[in-house]
Amino acid sequence: MIKKRPSFLLAAFLFLLLLSWGGVFYCSAQQGVAQVQTSTPQEKEEPEKIVGDPQDAKQKTGILVFVAWMWISVFVIVYFLRLKIKEADRLYRLRFYSAKKT
Amino acid sequence: MRKGIQSWLDERFGLTGITDFLTKKTVPLHKHTIWYYTGSAILLFFAIQVVTGFMLILYYKPTLEMANASVARIMTDVPLGWIIRSVHSWSASFMITFVFVHLLSIWIAKSYRRPRELTWMSGVLLLLISLLFGFTGYLLPWDDLSFSATKVGTDIPRAIPVVGAWVTRLLRGGDDVTGDTLTRFFGIHVCMLPVFLFLLLAIHIYLVQKQGMSLPLEAEGKQEKVKEIPFWPNFVFREMIVWLLLVGILFSVAIFFPPSLEKAADVMAPAPEGIKPEWYFLFLFQTLKIFPAHVLFISGEMLAVLLMIFAGVLFFFLPFFDNKPTGTKGKIITLLAYVFILYALVMSVWSLL
Amino acid sequence: MKIKHSLFSRRQFLNGIIGGWLGAFLASLVYPVVKFIFPPYKEPDEVILPFSDFKDMRPNSVKSFAWGSKLGLVKKNDDDVYVAFVGVCTHLDCNVAYLNEQRKFFCACHDGWYDENGINIGGPPPKPLRRLTLVIAQEELIIKKESPEGNS
Repeated sequence: MIKKRPSFLLAAFLFLLLLSWGGVFYCSAQQGVAQVQTSTPQEKEEPEKIVGDPQDAKQKTGILVFVAWMWISVFVIVYFLRLKIKEADRLYRLRFYSAKKT
Repeated sequence: MRKGIQSWLDERFGLTGITDFLTKKTVPLHKHTIWYYTGSAILLFFAIQVVTGFMLILYYKPTLEMANASVARIMTDVPLGWIIRSVHSWSASFMITFVFVHLLSIWIAKSYRRPRELTWMSGVLLLLISLLFGFTGYLLPWDDLSFSATKVGTDIPRAIPVVGAWVTRLLRGGDDVTGDTLTRFFGIHVCMLPVFLFLLLAIHIYLVQKQGMSLPLEAEGKQEKVKEIPFWPNFVFREMIVWLLLVGILFSVAIFFPPSLEKAADVMAPAPEGIKPEWYFLFLFQTLKIFPAHVLFISGEMLAVLLMIFAGVLFFFLPFFDNKPTGTKGKIITLLAYVFILYALVMSVWSLL
Repeated sequence: MKIKHSLFSRRQFLNGIIGGWLGAFLASLVYPVVKFIFPPYKEPDEVILPFSDFKDMRPNSVKSFAWGSKLGLVKKNDDDVYVAFVGVCTHLDCNVAYLNEQRKFFCACHDGWYDENGINIGGPPPKPLRRLTLVIAQEELIIKKESPEGNS
């Protein structure tokens, strides 16, 4: 039958590749941007309102990179899921599942 | 190796029972199938709430002195704390949105018909728990707005005759909204409600699996079988697409529109302008506002609250009222769903003007 | 089905891509979670205290101050020189005390002893007490992390 291993290897390889790609992206976003440390919490200039948002330019670009990476991931995975769905539907129509007696 | 682990677990848990069932479970395909996705969407957002909640609770301090400051710390000092808080806040709204959509789709499709009455009733209780989650969670940052909104919200039960004042005292931990109220709401939010929700959810999900997916009214009585697809893997893959898109939208909204935090509530200060509850309570809030102070000799507020409770009870027993779904009564009940949507929309918008 | 010369079947390929990418995406979510759960704890770079609080210390005595969230100890030696230590035992983190008569630091948890210069002389402590650089400037006492050369 079909060996299980190659699929796992491919998944692991892709996983590491994408992780390192994501890491490179993130690191490159840090270059050329001065690192501004977040001020200590005692310095609340306006006690009126605190807005939660990224603290500095480095974080801002990091966030945008993450959002871009997230949406790319979503679309890629959705694309392949649709292929899987088409395949699963085709198999169902061919009675592949009902014929299977596990 | 996977097969080895599977058989090891199966020998002890008897998992094949579940996996066999899941492979045999089917989902009907028809023009209303899209509403089947709402249930698992709710679960998705709830799971996100649990995870982000676990994280927030590591830093949140549920006392009058520290609540606001601890949330401020999460938003400024703790790395990426503002994202976690933002996700938690937005996912709450998303979850309750889908709860309402789920409920309305069931109402309109009349999926609560026999034998699914208990599924409906457990669902209504789940709705109540979700709203309580939102209500108790809203107070926890302890800023001016949430403090005032809680003052108003916990004052409303007082209008109920006989038990009203007692209910208010129970909610507040006293006669006023104090640090005790905060601690109480915190305990309810992170401990009691999750327990109740899990119990009811287990019942609700078990019933859905046991009785299978319901069919729309038109499909009943038809001779030909409705088209179906297997739950696993066909429907699950479709659900995964929905989840991915929802997670993408949630994170994007949470990152670009994070909630802010006002300064800590001052118990002695006059109420700030523009108090309003969370959006899902707006229509109720407005309903209360439009009732005149007195109707004949009864207090307007009491009448409004009693009417709401009465409507709630009717709502809870809806499957038993709608025992002839195809008749006129059935059509009126369906119409009432649309009336409710319109009412809620109009009232909510009105309350914001 | 898998053609003989191909590495994977179509199914394995699709499963691999979906699994791998999904895994990478979920892993990228782990990073903010971990950063959140383990916030960076930084010791202060320096602590500035009013010298007036320490001017009237008797020789061979110790006064505590806050070194971040740890115990800090300012010691006035017999020759009126001020030194500073992190008052945390190097064994298992308990706070130490200075016993004037015996001229030793003592850790009550497991009977650890340090001499008046913070060198570990008895019991389980493996290392001397950490020293901090202490500088007196005008009316202020500035305590800083000890630089590698041992001088301020």
